Amino acid sequence: MSDVRWWQRLDRIGRGLENALLLLSLVAMIGLAVAQIVARNVGLGGFAFSDELLRLLVLWVAMLGAVAASRDDHHIRIDLVSRFLPYRLRKGVRVIVDLFTAGVCAVLAWYGLSFVASTREFEDLAFGALPLWWFQAILPVGFGLIAYRYLLWTCQHGYESWRGEVDMKTGSPEGG
Amino acid sequence: MANVLLLLLAVLGAPLFVIIAGSALWGFYQQDVDLSVLPIEIFAIAETPILLAIPLFTFAGYILSESQAPTRLVRVTQAVFGWMPGGLAMVSLAACAFFTAFTGASGVTIIALGAILYPALASAGYDERFNLGLVTSAGSLGLLFAPSLPIILYGVVAKEPIDTLFVAGAAPGMLMLVLLAGWSVWRNRHTRTALSAFSWREVGAALKDAALEIPLPIVVLGGIYGGVLAVSEAAAVTALYVLIVEVVVRREIKLTALPGIVRESMMLVGGILVILGVSFASTNYMIDAGVPEKLFALTESRVDSKLTFLLALLVFLLILGAILDIFSAIVLVVPLILPLAANYGVDPIHLGIIFLAAMQLGYLTPPVGLNLFIASYRFNKSILSVYAATLPFLLILFVSVLIITFWPSLSLFLVR
Repeated sequence: MSDVRWWQRLDRIGRGLENALLLLSLVAMIGLAVAQIVARNVGLGGFAFSDELLRLLVLWVAMLGAVAASRDDHHIRIDLVSRFLPYRLRKGVRVIVDLFTAGVCAVLAWYGLSFVASTREFEDLAFGALPLWWFQAILPVGFGLIAYRYLLWTCQHGYESWRGEVDMKTGSPEGG
Repeated sequence: MANVLLLLLAVLGAPLFVIIAGSALWGFYQQDVDLSVLPIEIFAIAETPILLAIPLFTFAGYILSESQAPTRLVRVTQAVFGWMPGGLAMVSLAACAFFTAFTGASGVTIIALGAILYPALASAGYDERFNLGLVTSAGSLGLLFAPSLPIILYGVVAKEPIDTLFVAGAAPGMLMLVLLAGWSVWRNRHTRTALSAFSWREVGAALKDAALEIPLPIVVLGGIYGGVLAVSEAAAVTALYVLIVEVVVRREIKLTALPGIVRESMMLVGGILVILGVSFASTNYMIDAGVPEKLFALTESRVDSKLTFLLALLVFLLILGAILDIFSAIVLVVPLILPLAANYGVDPIHLGIIFLAAMQLGYLTPPVGLNLFIASYRFNKSILSVYAATLPFLLILFVSVLIITFWPSLSLFLVR
C-alpha cells in the first residue's frame, strides 16, 4: 500500500472522522430520546437537559451531514444544464459554481464566528452549565469545512477541465 | 441583477442552500443588516424540537432499505394480492408506497425495491415498458402516508400539527394508489401473467417471515394516535427498533456497514436541514422586503375566486415540481403561499396535501424528474424510454392531483 498517496490517506482519515462523529451523534440522539420516553413512563419525569441536548444534536447532525455531503459532492441542486454540456465545458462551469459555493460558505463561516463570539461574550449557557458557544461552534467550523471542501473541488474540476476526458480503462487513476 | 446571477448559478448546478444563502446575504447586505443574522437564523434548527424526527425516521428508512426487509415486504404483499389478475402490479404499488412512507421518497425506493420488483414483473409476463413505468412512478408513491419526510417538513414550515397532516394524507394517498392499481389491472387485462394460487399457508409463512417488521406501522401510528408518543418520540422508537431488529436480531446489516449507512442517510438529512436553515433567513428577508404583500397585490388583481386560485396554484406547483426538488420547494415556497391561500379560504392542511401531491408529480416530470434519472441509471434504459414508459402513470397521477385539489373534503373529512 506504499503507493497510496498522502491526500488519499488524508481523505480516508477525514471521511472516517466524519463517519465516527455522525455515528456518535446519531446513537446519542436515539439513546437519549428513548431514555427520555422510558424515564417519563416510569414516572421519573424527563431529564432537564435532554430536550435541549437533543435539539443541539440535531444541529450537529445537520452540519456534519452537510460537511459529509460536501466531501461526496452530494448537495441538493438543480441539475438542468450540466448534463447537456460536453465534458470540458461541464467541468469548467463547475469551477465557477464551486468557487461561488466556497465563497458563500466562507462568508457564512466568518459571520458564524462573530455570532459565536457574541454568545461567548454574553456567557450564555447550555443546560445551565456549559458554555452555549461550544455547541454553536459547529456553525463556523462546519461552513468553514464546506468552504475548504469546495475550494478543493474547484481545483479538481479545474484540473479535469484542463486535462479533458480520460479513457477510464487506460487513463490515469488520479483522484481515485 | 444579483438575482439573475443567482438564478444562473442555480441552473448551472450550484448547491441550492448556497443560492438561498447567497440571496439572503445579498438582501440583508443591501438593507445594511448585520450578516450575523444568517448564522443566527440557521441556529434556529436547534430551536425547532420537531426536527428531531427527520434524522431518526430517515435513518430507520435507510436501515430498512439496506436489510432484506424489502424482500419480505414483497413476499407478504405477493401472498395477499398475487392471486389476482394484475396482482403483482398491485404488489409493487403497495410495497413501494409502504416503503416510501418510511424512506421519504428520496429515490431509495426505486433502488431498494426496484431491484426486486422489476425482474419479478418481467418473469411474471408483464411487458417491459409497463414495468419500467410502474417501478419508476411507484418510487414516489406513499409520499402522503405517515411518517413521510416531506409531510413532516411541511408541518415544520407551515407550523401545522404533523399528526393532523399524517391523517389528512391518508385518503388522498389511497386515491393515488387505487387509481394506479385500477389502471394496472385494466392495462394488463389481456396479458397472460403467471398467477400464484392463493394459499393461507403462504400468507402465514410470509407474515411469520416479516413478523418483526409488521409491527412498525403500528408502533408509529399507534404510538402517535394512542397519545403515547410525540411524533419525534415515535421516530426515536422506530430508529431503535429497526436498529435492533435488522442489526442485532436478524444480523442482515453488519456492524461494519453501519457507519456507511449512517453517512448516506445523514448526508441527505444534512442537505435538507441546511436548506431549511438558510431558508429561515431568506424567508425573513422576504417578509422584511414585503414580498408577501407584493404577491397579495399581484394575485388579488388577477385571481378572483378560490377556484381560480387553486387552478393557478396547481399550474405553478407543477412547474415548480419539474425544476425543484420537494424539500427545497417546501421550505422556499410554502411560507409565501400560505398567507395567499388563507386569503382565498384554502385550509392550510388541504394546502399541504395539494402541495405534496403536486410535487410528487415533479419526481416524474421531464426534464429533471429525479425518479426518471434514477430509473434510467438503475435499469440501464435511455432517459427517453423512461419518459415514454412513465407517461401514462404520470397522467393518472395528474388526474388524482386534480381530484385532491378540487375536493377538499377528501383531505379534511378525517381531521376537521
